[in-house]
Amino acid sequence: MEMPKNQNLRIERFDYRLTFAKKGRARYISHLDLMRTMQRAIKRAGVPIWYTQGFNPHAYLMFPLALPLGTDSEVELLDIALIENWDYEKLVQQLNKSMPEGLYFVKAAEPKMKHTEIAYAEYEIEASFDKPSAQAFELFKSFINCETIEIEKRVKPKKGKKATFKTIDIKPNLTILGLEIRDDKVWVNLRLPAGTEMNLNTGSLIDAFCMQNNVQLQDIYTKRTKILCKNGENFT
Amino acid sequence: MKEIQQKIEPLLLKTQKPARYIGGELGSIIKDKEKVDVRFAFCFPDVYDVGMSHLGMKILYGLKNQRENWWCERVFMPEKDFEKMMRENDIPLYALESLDPIRDFDFIGFTLQYELSYTNVLEMLDLAGLPVFSRDRRSLTPIVVGGGPCVCNPEPIADFFDLFILGEGEEVNIELLELYEKMKPDSPTKEEFLREAAKIEGIYVPSLYDVTYNDNGTVKNIFPKDEQLPKRIKKRVIVDFDKVYYPDSFVVPFTSIVHDRAVVEVLRGCIRGCRFCQAGFIYRPFREKNIDTIKNETKCLCEQTGYEQVSLSSLSTSDYTEIEKLLNTLTDYTDKENINLSLPSLRIDNFSDELLEKIASVRKSGLTFAPEAGTQRLRDVINKNITEDEIINTCRMAFAAGYGNVKLYFMLGLPDETDEDVVAIAELAQRIVNLYYELPRENRAPSIQVSISVATFVPKPFTPFEFEPQTSPEEIDRKQKLIMDSIKSKKIRFSYHQQPVSVLEGVLARGDRRLSDAIYTAWKKGCTLDSWDEHFRPDLWDEAFNECGIDKSFYANRRRDYNEVMPWNHLDYLVSHEFFVRENKKAHQAITTRNCCEGCSGCGIGKEYGGIYCGNAKKSES
Repeated sequence: MEMPKNQNLRIERFDYRLTFAKKGRARYISHLDLMRTMQRAIKRAGVPIWYTQGFNPHAYLMFPLALPLGTDSEVELLDIALIENWDYEKLVQQLNKSMPEGLYFVKAAEPKMKHTEIAYAEYEIEASFDKPSAQAFELFKSFINCETIEIEKRVKPKKGKKATFKTIDIKPNLTILGLEIRDDKVWVNLRLPAGTEMNLNTGSLIDAFCMQNNVQLQDIYTKRTKILCKNGENFT
Repeated sequence: MKEIQQKIEPLLLKTQKPARYIGGELGSIIKDKEKVDVRFAFCFPDVYDVGMSHLGMKILYGLKNQRENWWCERVFMPEKDFEKMMRENDIPLYALESLDPIRDFDFIGFTLQYELSYTNVLEMLDLAGLPVFSRDRRSLTPIVVGGGPCVCNPEPIADFFDLFILGEGEEVNIELLELYEKMKPDSPTKEEFLREAAKIEGIYVPSLYDVTYNDNGTVKNIFPKDEQLPKRIKKRVIVDFDKVYYPDSFVVPFTSIVHDRAVVEVLRGCIRGCRFCQAGFIYRPFREKNIDTIKNETKCLCEQTGYEQVSLSSLSTSDYTEIEKLLNTLTDYTDKENINLSLPSLRIDNFSDELLEKIASVRKSGLTFAPEAGTQRLRDVINKNITEDEIINTCRMAFAAGYGNVKLYFMLGLPDETDEDVVAIAELAQRIVNLYYELPRENRAPSIQVSISVATFVPKPFTPFEFEPQTSPEEIDRKQKLIMDSIKSKKIRFSYHQQPVSVLEGVLARGDRRLSDAIYTAWKKGCTLDSWDEHFRPDLWDEAFNECGIDKSFYANRRRDYNEVMPWNHLDYLVSHEFFVRENKKAHQAITTRNCCEGCSGCGIGKEYGGIYCGNAKKSES
């Protein structure tokens, strides 16, 4: 029997948690494509990446939390492992030498928490609708102040079945941190559950608002600002 | 730029795979347009996923952008959903680097890789806000140029283009752009510029040539409008192939594309002379790069792009004279870097154990072979010089090495094909399945699948079969069923081409200028993305042919006389007419022709073109 190719090779590994930004043109890179993009970026940078041990060795990369397509962020996380012990600053510098426009690393650190500890994320949304901003603002205010806020959530399909949707009330899970009119647009700062237990994205909230109030979205800019643990601390 | 970017951004989230429409990929080249004198929009007339896989674009993109004051950008055909949004929101077709509308560029270049992309050319010109017919674009710019294999018979689309580039583009593109740069300050008329361009070898300006027809509908004569123009336009060849420009980096896409890997070209041309294969003749003569050149290009590309897979590109990689040495050299590097080396074009006859081990050493993918025909007799007709023993031996070797997935390519509707030949396709597949079961269980892969993929043969210009009628759709249908009925094993998977697509391809491949109205009409009726099953509309094409009075069978299913003037008669791809006639006659007698390596067969290409086996060529043989 053939042995896995990478077996019995150097297996000492050094783990890193990288923080990166995804902005501008790069925000249209889907999560699946981001994996590939990062793999290549790391390969290009010539950083000594740790390969998985098995029949199909591949570079070890792990995203603790996916970022929805079209959302800006400077707080995204990527876990990697190297076969050498590198200085954090040197690693970031080296990686940033060959990144595509809009994608860059902010810092590297030691991973302290498990991915499962991620519980919330915070976002800033700037949106304009087919109604004057003052009116849209009032509509949004009453939308989030209702007793219940029902949204359509996609239910993960069982094997071979089509995806279905269920209506859930997200009122208990939604925290509004700020709401105002900025530059003639509705500006919202909010916190939503994120991670493995429950994950809500801003898109479904805005969709529900539009549908229930019969307004059309004209322009939207969303930015993720924080990734948090259960106790409200930054995930590190 | 800002204007288009603002318009497209809100649309991106509503479209499939938006990364295709916004650019910004690593390796894409951004310049200051104030410092640029010549802007070139390189258009691939199909969607991003396909176009971005095309090697020719990567080469010419890098080549032109080497000049500081030239800027070459990429343009692709939008999918139907995004195309609709572009039209609804008044977004003209733009280039991915600058996001500027391409109608303001100096050149718009299309690479014509397959006939079914012709309507996409019209769609893209229209989306750009330009008239599709060359005669309606009066100003000097944009100059619409075409290149690629289909240009060996560009007549069906001659009315849409200002000029065509014949053969290999690395030198002639530079000459063309230099000429433009030189003439531009004097603001010449379009005709003045085209007349000058026509003096460059390899450039064909269709509006400067006239065509007359015989009463029976065939072409009578194709001739230049004045005596200064060449009667025959010769294709361009890179004589010193080892020294030819090769990009040191590729644009690395975010979204997955068809061939998402580094590609290094190892050789050009083909020694084989399979009689159905257009590429085997129009890319002659056979030239190679040195091992060191290939190694350096591989290393450089992998480092620059970060790709974990590199593929060697050619028409037949195992014909590389020092293939084992090449692979040893390359795997020394790729193994160390965890890079997967793949060799897409291998021939069965010289496939060794060692070679197999090399390809399988990083990741075990499937094996694909192209016997093309089921019986030895028919393989002799098409000059596919491989024997059944070779096929069987190679498969045995592959199974023993742990492969469980074999893909076999065949063609249906070849000249002189009988039902016996057709049934033999299924029989050969069965024999390969049996071969797997003959091996002891512990020495073979856990499962076996033999896929046979059967394409419909389409006779192409500049091949010995350019005279042959294409088999009628009804007959192809019958033969496809015959194969299906002959397959007994569940381990054999059978797939085949949709009929009407092959017919259309056949008409367009050997068509003349009178087809341009039909192409225009079909496009007007909504035909685009014809090579995609979900978008192809044979009913609309048939309406278009009827309205324009075009009889498809005249172009596709008619045997052409050796003396008939072909619509591409005025184009010279260096292989002689006499050679094609000789090869056609030998085909009907099922006599094979040796390959170039075994000895020159006098195809007509002189040794001044750099072919490594052309030494013994007689100057003319007729």
